[in-house]
Amino acid sequence: MSDIPNGLFSIDELENVQITIGKIVGAIEQKAKEEGVEVGPTPKPGISALRDWDYKLLSRYKPVYTPVCDQCCYCTFGKCDLTGNKEGACGINMEAHQARETLLRVITGAAAHSGHGRHILHHLIGLYGRDKPIDVGPSNLLAPNTQAVTGIRPETLGDLEEVMDYVEEQLTQLLATIHAGQEGAAIDFESKILHGGMLDHVGMEVSDIAQISCMGMPKSDPEAPLVEIGMGCIDSSKPVLVVIGHNVAGVTNIMDYIQDHGLEDKMELAGLCCTAIDMTRYQTDRGGKPHAKVIGTLAKELKMIRSGVPDVIVVDEQCVRADVLDEAKKLSIPVITTNEKIMYGLRNRSADRPQDIIDDLSSFKEPGALILDFDVLGQVAPELTLKMSKIRDEMGIKALPSDEDLKELSTKCVMCAACEMDCPDNLPIMEAMKAGVDGDFSKFEYLHDKCIACGRCDQACPKDIPILNMIEQASQKLIREEKGLMRAGRGQISDPEIREEGVNLVLGTTPGIIAMVGCSNYPDGTKDLYRVADEMLKRNYIVVISGCSAMDLGMYKDEDGETLYEKYPAKFLAGNLINVGSCVSNSHITGTAIKVAAIFAQRQVSGNYEEIADYITNRIGAVGVAWGAYSQKASSIASGCNRLGIPVVVGPHGSKYRRALIGKPYNEEDWKVYDARDGSEMPIPSSPEFLLTTAESIEELLPMLAKNCIRPSDNNMGRMIKLTHYMELSQKYLGHMPADWYKFVRTETDLPLAKREDLLKILEKDHGWEIDWKRKKILSGPSMKSDVSAQPTNVKRLCKGEC
Amino acid sequence: MVDTTKNTQIYSTWGRKMAKPVNPNVAGKVISKAKRPLLVVGSEILMDEKLVEKTISIAKKGIPVAATGHSITALMNKGIDAKYINVHSLATFLGDAKWGGLDGQGSYDTILFLGHKKYYLDQVLSGLKNFTDLKTLAIERHFMQNATLSFGNLRPEVHLDALDEFIDNI
Ligand code: SF4
Ligand code: SF4
Ligand code: SF4
Repeated sequence: MSDIPNGLFSIDELENVQITIGKIVGAIEQKAKEEGVEVGPTPKPGISALRDWDYKLLSRYKPVYTPVCDQCCYCTFGKCDLTGNKEGACGINMEAHQARETLLRVITGAAAHSGHGRHILHHLIGLYGRDKPIDVGPSNLLAPNTQAVTGIRPETLGDLEEVMDYVEEQLTQLLATIHAGQEGAAIDFESKILHGGMLDHVGMEVSDIAQISCMGMPKSDPEAPLVEIGMGCIDSSKPVLVVIGHNVAGVTNIMDYIQDHGLEDKMELAGLCCTAIDMTRYQTDRGGKPHAKVIGTLAKELKMIRSGVPDVIVVDEQCVRADVLDEAKKLSIPVITTNEKIMYGLRNRSADRPQDIIDDLSSFKEPGALILDFDVLGQVAPELTLKMSKIRDEMGIKALPSDEDLKELSTKCVMCAACEMDCPDNLPIMEAMKAGVDGDFSKFEYLHDKCIACGRCDQACPKDIPILNMIEQASQKLIREEKGLMRAGRGQISDPEIREEGVNLVLGTTPGIIAMVGCSNYPDGTKDLYRVADEMLKRNYIVVISGCSAMDLGMYKDEDGETLYEKYPAKFLAGNLINVGSCVSNSHITGTAIKVAAIFAQRQVSGNYEEIADYITNRIGAVGVAWGAYSQKASSIASGCNRLGIPVVVGPHGSKYRRALIGKPYNEEDWKVYDARDGSEMPIPSSPEFLLTTAESIEELLPMLAKNCIRPSDNNMGRMIKLTHYMELSQKYLGHMPADWYKFVRTETDLPLAKREDLLKILEKDHGWEIDWKRKKILSGPSMKSDVSAQPTNVKRLCKGEC
Repeated sequence: MVDTTKNTQIYSTWGRKMAKPVNPNVAGKVISKAKRPLLVVGSEILMDEKLVEKTISIAKKGIPVAATGHSITALMNKGIDAKYINVHSLATFLGDAKWGGLDGQGSYDTILFLGHKKYYLDQVLSGLKNFTDLKTLAIERHFMQNATLSFGNLRPEVHLDALDEFIDNI
């Protein structure tokens, strides 16, 4: 190994020549050695490095393909019909093509997060320099995903560049395998999917720890402030600036300008999607109050624009509707694009004088501008908002139809059903139109929360009825009442919190972590999230939440008028509700699981992904729920969880991801692991039953969550608690005892005390177990033993005597 | 007689192999002839009491029921053989010869679907169409192009009539 350090050096004889040494082979290992850190077998793993681990997961959780399209049109040999698992002209079959399609989605999602990460890192290094220390709160393990995957223990912003280099290089390698004539085996596409998901969590982690370190965002703070949320919390009598997207970099300049110029009370600054979440985290780590409001999720984008309330719209990247400019133009709202990922054909005004841009946009010479210089943006956006507000008031912009119009529009409907058939949720639009003819608009109101504001109905209607606008107009009262509170994203779970709670998670006495993530493509409105979170919180699960889910959860109040964020504390303890933050903060959820392995269980973390994943798979009862998952990013987040053995349930729309990973509980040989104490085989419960699947309704979802938190490492108390919740939730929501409850019973002490006798009777009568009734003990029947000192592992090399 | 074969416009997935539109009387006969049929019932039946009634009538003809989602809540204690199972798992197991079925009696040959979300069922059927030899029959309100046989797109009242005719023909 070379002794030359990283960095700059000059060669004396060659005057004025400087050579930069970026990376040296073995540098990670050398640095780790100097710091006294051991590095595991797979620092910066390539595509094949963790393949054995993937194969282990995939042998239990088989890929299940449900194509959205039976054909492939990737190259000019096609279209090829692959129906029935036929091969295309290049030899690829349906299974492999579906896995390839899934991989494409996963790496698209990962690229979106990583592209964001690279952008914000570059931006922050420009402002603060490479030596700016990473500061995420009271933790030593600053970047658990990064460290477990790459072996790098980053301390400064500059250290994160090498991490991004790795992620980008691997994503390029994965993208290359999508090309026709590359990988041919579904199973290896599957392994690549898991690889892409893992990379995604590294990319997300870099994004978030960089912005937390530099932008004054809460640092593992359970007391992060409460933020106003909802369309109803926007004061439309003031000038309104709306930002949409995920990357807060440029928006912070706008926020600074507003503050520095005393404009805070003179205008409203509000956001949609994750930029909104990150705006409310900005400069709040020292007790500062949030300087912006949250409107809501992607499902509110079109509704907000069409309300005509925004005076200016600023977009950055990801989950921004492609028609923002067209829609805004109709209502004389100038649009500013601020990121190369979305430019909408607008002229680049980055080098122009702010006043010139303001003049051009306010006189409608141009409908918007591309501004990549954030100082210019910082001034233009708020000043233009103030100006446009007056202009638009004077113009008397009419956005939505009036109540009188509603009746007339309803009569135009010819009941052709085109809208309902095209609506992604087949919502009953015709019923609303029928009632609307008689002046009853309550059925439009009913549609409001269920409608995801996609606008497909408008496109379908042969009579050009503005259906979405009708829904919105009829729901004005509801919209005014849409006011809630969300706790600002707190970032990571800190090391001390892990030390306190880790043992309860591993033994099961805290019944599990329910991670509610993802987007707003819900099957039946937003309130489902609230019901799920409240039920699980009441039962002492830790609920971790992020992104769009974190927003929608804050929209509902209990009978005492409290949101769940007010009702439940936000520590990393049983029965707490934690908002980690925006989309990229999802890395802190996997980061938490990695930290339990590294800090509580003292497993070596650096470059030791397989062992960490194995630990999590067998011991940490965590289940992800992406009830409204719509995006490619959601699929990459889920795949990253999956490689760590964390199962994810998506809502019914998630079936369109076209691939799931489902286990077969009836295949006994699939549910065996090694006991690391001696390498012997031990049977385990069939939980989690899947790594990725769908549920149809939240009534089905709730018992699924409880069941799939069961892990081999549960002690008797832990198993008893988990089993109790599984049985109770099945009875409450499905009306019956689950058929398989007995399979999770190892001894009588796994049974809830209050029902023990009754359950023992059932075990004897229905399942033929032998019971010693005098001592109320199970003599025979269970397929596995209760042994808390067992060391379940899927990896033979981790067993005693194997290495 | 209800004609359930007219509107077969497709709204979700795409493929060359498409369901044959079927009338209720023919669909009923297909089920009568099946050796081991299974009725898979989704939670959407809970939106309409009449759909629950029709489901029970079909099951009472001696067809076992896989109740997906939370549809089981309407099907218990009704004198029918209904068991809860997740539809994605069910579709996976249906294609596995080693699966013993809901009752341990072995696999099924004809699968009947009622009460599902259109987009969700279409995905489930896509898996079955592409990777199994099972005969699938959708008696839904929407044309399910990935089934072997399916009703076309129907208005709710026509759908209920069609179900009655279907039941009469089992
Ligand atoms: S990539 Fe293969 S399956 Fe796809 S169109 Fe080309 S030849 Fe056909
Ligand atoms: S805008 Fe709403 S009602 Fe219209 S198609 Fe989309 S979800 Fe359905
Ligand atoms: S598409 Fe238009 S005309 Fe047809 S039912 Fe819907 S609202 Fe009425």
